[in-house]
Parts: sequence; C-alpha cells; structure tokens
Amino acid sequence: MKNARRPLLALAVLAALAAATAPAAFSASAPTTTPTAHPASLPDQKTIVIDPGHGGLDVGAKGKFGNVEKTVTLAISQKLKALIEQNMAYRVLLTRDKDIDISLENRSALANNNDAVLFISIHANGSFRPATGAETFYMSLTDLDEETRKLAYLENNSSQLEKRIADEAKDDVKMILWDMAQAAYIKQSARLAEAIQGELPALLTMEGRPSRSLTVENRGIKQARFKVLTGVACPAVLVEVAFMSNPEEEQKLINGAFQTNVAQAIYRGLVSYMKSIGPPPPPPSPSPAP
Amino acid sequence: MKSPKTTLVIALAILLAALVFIFFRSGGREVILKSGDAAAASAGDKTTQPKAKPTKKVTLFFVRSSDGLLAPEEREIAASDSLIQETEEFIAEIIKGPTGELGAALPAETKLGRIYITRNGTAYVDFSRELADKHPSGTTAELSTIYAVVDGLAYNFKSIKKVFLLVDGEERETLAGHIGLDRAFLPDYSRIAKN
Repeated sequence: MKNARRPLLALAVLAALAAATAPAAFSASAPTTTPTAHPASLPDQKTIVIDPGHGGLDVGAKGKFGNVEKTVTLAISQKLKALIEQNMAYRVLLTRDKDIDISLENRSALANNNDAVLFISIHANGSFRPATGAETFYMSLTDLDEETRKLAYLENNSSQLEKRIADEAKDDVKMILWDMAQAAYIKQSARLAEAIQGELPALLTMEGRPSRSLTVENRGIKQARFKVLTGVACPAVLVEVAFMSNPEEEQKLINGAFQTNVAQAIYRGLVSYMKSIGPPPPPPSPSPAP
Repeated sequence: MKSPKTTLVIALAILLAALVFIFFRSGGREVILKSGDAAAASAGDKTTQPKAKPTKKVTLFFVRSSDGLLAPEEREIAASDSLIQETEEFIAEIIKGPTGELGAALPAETKLGRIYITRNGTAYVDFSRELADKHPSGTTAELSTIYAVVDGLAYNFKSIKKVFLLVDGEERETLAGHIGLDRAFLPDYSRIAKN
C-alpha cells in the first residue's frame, strides 16, 4: 500500500537528514576555519561575537516603506561593536560586516571557533499583524528529548561540558552535545537576556525626558528554539529590537539616533551582566589602534 | 525468417506497450473508483437525509493584532472516523484563515501536502513550499505559524502529542531564518493570549 509506506519513507528521509546534518554541525565547529577574518588579538583577550541577522539574498523582515531587516541589524551591530571596543577589553567579531549570506551554522561556528564568551544576535521583528515592541530571546529546551535534557542538566558550565566530552568515547554523544551546545549555558543565557531586556525599556528616557520617536515598548524576555543559538557554546541571546513589519517602528529602525540608542542599551545590559557574573576583565590595554 | 535479436526487440516492445497500458488503466480506474464512491455517497445522502453530515467543533488559533499572540476562533469541520482526514480538514481551515477580526497565521498561498501520524502521537504535517517562500519573516511571524499548527493540532486532537513541520516533503532548517524546524514541537500554550 502506497499510503502505509509513505510515513516510513518520511521517517527514513528524516533519519538520513539527521545523520547527514549532525556531523556537518560538528565539523563546522572544529577550530579550523572562520568565515570572518579577525583582527590580531592580545594573548588573553576574550571574544564577543555579534551576529547581525540575515544578509545577502536573505533580507529578513520587510517594512511597508521598503526597508529591510538585514540593513538595520548590520548598522546596530556595528554601533554595538564600536561601543564595546571603546569601553571594554574584549575583542568583538561580527558574523558579517557587509551584506552577504552567512549560514546559521557558520554564525554559531564563528563563536565556537573563537572561544567566544558571549554571542548576541541582533534582529528586527516581523509579524502577520502590526505588533510593537522589543524583546530578548534565549534558547528554549522544552522540545528536547529526555536523553539530551539529561546531558544538558550536567552543570551549566563549560569545563564540565569539555570534561564530559573527553570522558565519553562515543561519537554520537559528542554529536548531541555539539548539536545542542547551548543547553549547557541556558542559565547564563537567561541572565544575559534579562540584563539586556532590562535596559531596552530604559530607552524610554533620552536625556531625562521620554522620547516617543526613539523608544519601543517592552515585550519582555522569552524563550524559543532559534536555530542560530542551538549550537553556540557560550551564553547567547537574540534581541528583537522592534518590528520592521510595523510602519511606525520601521521609521524608528532606520533612524540613526534610534540605532545608537539601541546599541547603547544592549551595551549597558552587557556590562551589568558582566558585573553580575564576577570580576571585571583586565583593564583595557593602552589603546591598541586608533 | 527474422533474426532472434529482432524477435527479442519486438517481444520487449509488446511487453512495454502492455505495461504502459496497465499503468494508465490502473491509474484511471483508481480515479474513477474514487469519484464513483463520492457520487454514490452523496446520492445516498440525498435519498436518506438532506443534512446528514456530522461535524466536529474545533478551536483554531489566529494572530491577534494588539500583541501578535495567538487567539482562538471556533469553527465546525466535517467529522470523520479517520484522524488523518479530520486533521487535514483542520489544517485546511487554518490555511483558509480567520473569519473575524484576527489575522492569518499562515501565508494564504500555502497548500497542505500530506499528514502522517505515528503510533506514539507525533504528527508530520507537510506543507507546500509557499509556507516558507511567502512567509513574511520575523521571529513573531514564525512563532505564529508554527504554534497555530502545533497548538491547534494538540489542542483539538488529544492523541497528537508532538508536531513535526515539513516543507515540500522535506525537513527544513527554518521557515525564514529563525526558529529551527529540525525537531518535533511540543505544544506551548503560552503562545496563546490569555485575554
């Protein structure tokens, strides 16, 4: 019977796909190649990866006035990179610094290959209906199967994860861990999301007074199963700055002052997260480059 | 007398013709049978009862304007002994879209492929490529689409525990760059507005 065979076929196809993609994710994480050339770093300098959403053919959400998400996410990411580099002793890598296509897998791989301590993906939202506001997401683990969840439960700390990988000889266990690396950092990611989202509504005041044109509503922190966060082996969040699909917010998103405002809010969130997790990084080296 | 080679070729040609004939005939018969059944069924309806068809009340989830969350709309679909058939009816109604104030959760151009339901309650729902190609993009839009289907199916059909979304017969990475479709989704009723 044709009908009876179809589900089996679909399952077989899915199994084959899973088998084919798992090693790909693993090898993508191997510390060999990086999509973006990065500046020379100081020996102990830690890396933050900022991911401007979409790019190239993938324009992301589209606005009524013809603006697209990929342009706005790049602008905000570049402003955030500059802020961090000016004020903190971190090296900042962008997953893309121009309008090009980068696969979701390579975005996470850039963070893992450079031992990033934080991964921040910047997006502008889209909806079927004119919704408004900013929200910060971190990975959702609710759909994981029992086995993966158990592995994730180990301890939310990377040294444990590394140790576990070394101890386990079985390749498939490694695959699961790499495939779901983010599971091991979920607590820190939640804190990072809270810290950033805590600052976004602070946009409500510009120079002490509320400025409607430069602010967005607070939609809070949420969890969802983002493909780009799944394999990231460090605390990771995805910020939806405002709705490109809402004409009023589209106008804000393309406004340079609003973009700066958002970058500053995310930066402040980042600083408060860093403070909350322990001693600050070593003071900035005497200005490396102008 | 022709060579044995020619005879073989002729024999093969006849066999091929026969196979082609059988192929088209059997396909055609299937169609005729189906439409004949339907005709017989509707004729039976007319003679026995004018408005016989049993219906099932279902709750569909569509997008609310104020916050982009999902909100319910009740509707009747044709009841059936086949779970597959009822779920197909159900998804067709989601694609048809809302009748009231709510907004659609799927691109209007989307067509439903097939639905498979495994014994342990995982539904595989296959959509045409328009589900992704015509998608407006954006995290909120993707979540609306995914959970209109996942929560809708799990809420209305108790035997469905998880839903795996397929596009054009295959697993897809994401609809438009955000939510990973590489695993089945458990229902998440927090995506539905609590009024």
